[in-house]
Amino acid sequence: MPKLALPRLTFWRGVLLAILAAGTYATFLRVFKGLAGSTNLTDAFPWGLWIGFDILCGVALAAGGFTISATVYIFNLEKFRPIVRPAILTAFLGYVLVVVALLFDLGRPWNVWHPLVMWNPHSVMFEVGWCVTLYTTVLALEFSPVVFERFKMTKTLHVLHVIMPILVVLGVLLSTLHQSSLGSFYLIVPTKLHALWYSPLLPVYFFLTALTLGCAMTIVESFLSHRAFGKELEMELLVPLGRVALLILGVTAVIRFADFRHRGILGLPFAPTYESRLFLAEMIIGVLAPAVLLALPKVRQHRTGLFLSALLIVMGVVMNRLNVSITGMERSSGEIYVPAFTEIAITLSVVGVGFLVFALAVKYLPVFPEHEMKDARPPVAPDALHVAAQPIRSLPMPAIAVVALAFVAAGALGADGVRRREVVPGPPAPSGTPALAAALASFEAPAEMTFPQAPDSPGPVSFRHASHVDASAPDCLACHGNSYSFLGRTEAPPAGLMHDTKHCGGCHDGTSAFSIEDDCTACHKSE
Amino acid sequence: MLNTQAKGLLLDTTRCIGCGACALACKERNGLPKTSEVVLEDKLSDKTFSTVNQVGNRYVRRMCMHCATPSCASACPVAALEKTAAGPVVYHESKCMGCRYCMIACPFGIPKYEWEKKAPLVRKCDLCADRLAKGLKTACATACPTGATTFGNRDALVLEARARFAANPGRYREHVYGFEEVGGTSVLLISDAKPEELGYPAGLDETPPPHLTWRVLNIIPDIVMTGAVLLGGIYWIRNRRDEVEAAEGHHDASTKGH
Repeated sequence: MPKLALPRLTFWRGVLLAILAAGTYATFLRVFKGLAGSTNLTDAFPWGLWIGFDILCGVALAAGGFTISATVYIFNLEKFRPIVRPAILTAFLGYVLVVVALLFDLGRPWNVWHPLVMWNPHSVMFEVGWCVTLYTTVLALEFSPVVFERFKMTKTLHVLHVIMPILVVLGVLLSTLHQSSLGSFYLIVPTKLHALWYSPLLPVYFFLTALTLGCAMTIVESFLSHRAFGKELEMELLVPLGRVALLILGVTAVIRFADFRHRGILGLPFAPTYESRLFLAEMIIGVLAPAVLLALPKVRQHRTGLFLSALLIVMGVVMNRLNVSITGMERSSGEIYVPAFTEIAITLSVVGVGFLVFALAVKYLPVFPEHEMKDARPPVAPDALHVAAQPIRSLPMPAIAVVALAFVAAGALGADGVRRREVVPGPPAPSGTPALAAALASFEAPAEMTFPQAPDSPGPVSFRHASHVDASAPDCLACHGNSYSFLGRTEAPPAGLMHDTKHCGGCHDGTSAFSIEDDCTACHKSE
Repeated sequence: MLNTQAKGLLLDTTRCIGCGACALACKERNGLPKTSEVVLEDKLSDKTFSTVNQVGNRYVRRMCMHCATPSCASACPVAALEKTAAGPVVYHESKCMGCRYCMIACPFGIPKYEWEKKAPLVRKCDLCADRLAKGLKTACATACPTGATTFGNRDALVLEARARFAANPGRYREHVYGFEEVGGTSVLLISDAKPEELGYPAGLDETPPPHLTWRVLNIIPDIVMTGAVLLGGIYWIRNRRDEVEAAEGHHDASTKGH
């Protein structure tokens, strides 16, 4: 009898299991307790971690797909071909997970298909919805040869091979559009997003950072694949990616400088606010430190050095997306947002599932075609983790110093930023008693009105506000809001209702005013 | 531009006595539950579409401004929010998928969400669209006893505001808030105080925020066409070399990797 072999529990598998358990519990809360019971979102802060990380970072982190497929298919740089499959797989998984995460965030996830049918071409989100749907389809098709190869479906493979250039061009266009459009989300809030991040160039920034990230993620993935699966890409492929990342980092930095100068806010990053601190931390981690590292040929060509540089870029883009969606939106909302445990658990689970599915795909599908890969080492179990060939201590001293400095500086800035975080005062608090003389002069008691008549009523009742309201201190709510409609009642009240203590009888009791028992004709006029 | 027959409201803080009639009339019309002991302490929420609060030493109303070019309607991916010719910005709840981009987009922070519900909706003032259709005033304007909330054609209300400035020299800070802000709103505000002293956002540009996104969305067809030609061209040039090489019999590069 075949024995069912349970995978051995290793440290990382344990972590993954714990995360997925927390995620399952969080999913339960999301489904049965709604958004209020599973998030710290509020009316003032309606977008949190799920949009900021799962959507904005998720889509950006999947940018390797279009960057690499364009490099190989369009620019015909054949040497990068071995990277295409893992890059496309990562992108495809990334997009599927983005959609899954979106279902958690949407208030009515069962309506997620609505943008495909109910169009609003003026909405950036409509455009992003369409692009993401189409691009996920394109990615599935781009990856499908891997599956068809597994099942040896040669005819289908041939068709796909013929249409591949069209798919790739389409994929690059769709990616360009929605990567930049995620930045365009925030163009509509010039008064709500902090000036450090609000810019008319938001779509340009989002696109350029996505490109940089596409290169960086490919490097990081290769490094991680090496550690996890013993499969890696050759350094002569990764180093040029590092150079391209450096180039785009530089271009973006120059554009940002010009943009800040043009808007006259060159001094703003140095203002003593927590936004400025977190902006500087983002710039040091995501731009300055990786640019310095990648500019040093010795670091760039060093496996660990290249990995560290790419990792810094990834962290920088994640910080950027969170700064735009959370840090930058807090001041105008008047609230400080801290994600709930459930929000974090779902986010980690989404990432965990991504790793899990990627690992399974690598195991069962020809993602890393053997003949094209440099098999660096015999495959190792994921738990037998060793740092790759070149240990960190073999990095040039200045590089280690740059990384350490970047982390220390960003950490200090971040800590100082968090310390400076404050709730911004909302509208001015009530102070003093409003002077109402001028306002009271415009008080006009509503016109005389006749109540709808009950069937057994001895005659219609007219009500004069003028004789019931003290014009010097009108108290509308003494009667309205409890028993009497503001908008007028058209149907007749039940017999006797108006005489009760909630209505006329409340005051017309013989002490405050003449009693309803006294004289019917005082109120009921004969017809 | 706003339809000249579009309805609107003129809010005048100098006429408000803080009686709370507007807020309660709003609750009555929308069938909303009581949310606080004293109506003046209500905050805008999924159960309160209109408030009157003491801000500083004045009473100030807050409600949907019913923008001429609403950010919420522009942001909504499914066109669940719509500016009608009659003036109100209305919400088609069956379309909504709950992305809450309207709440992010609104410069006044008006749309609120039913966070507690399992099938939540966005809730906000709809300028009593059904009453307007019947030729009635909004509930709040019907209830207001001082003219602090005045209902009418938006154009006429602008003139009314200026007439009040002229008739009461020194009483107002002579600025009609909402005349130009975010491209104009159907609800206008006049006061002796600056908007920020009333808790209203200040420094709003007269460019409607939706135009900021439309400028970008509008060039997408150009990007797609230029991009397709450019990428196609690069593809052709870069791959042509291989084809030529293959034809010359150096090596067959076109089948590499497949």
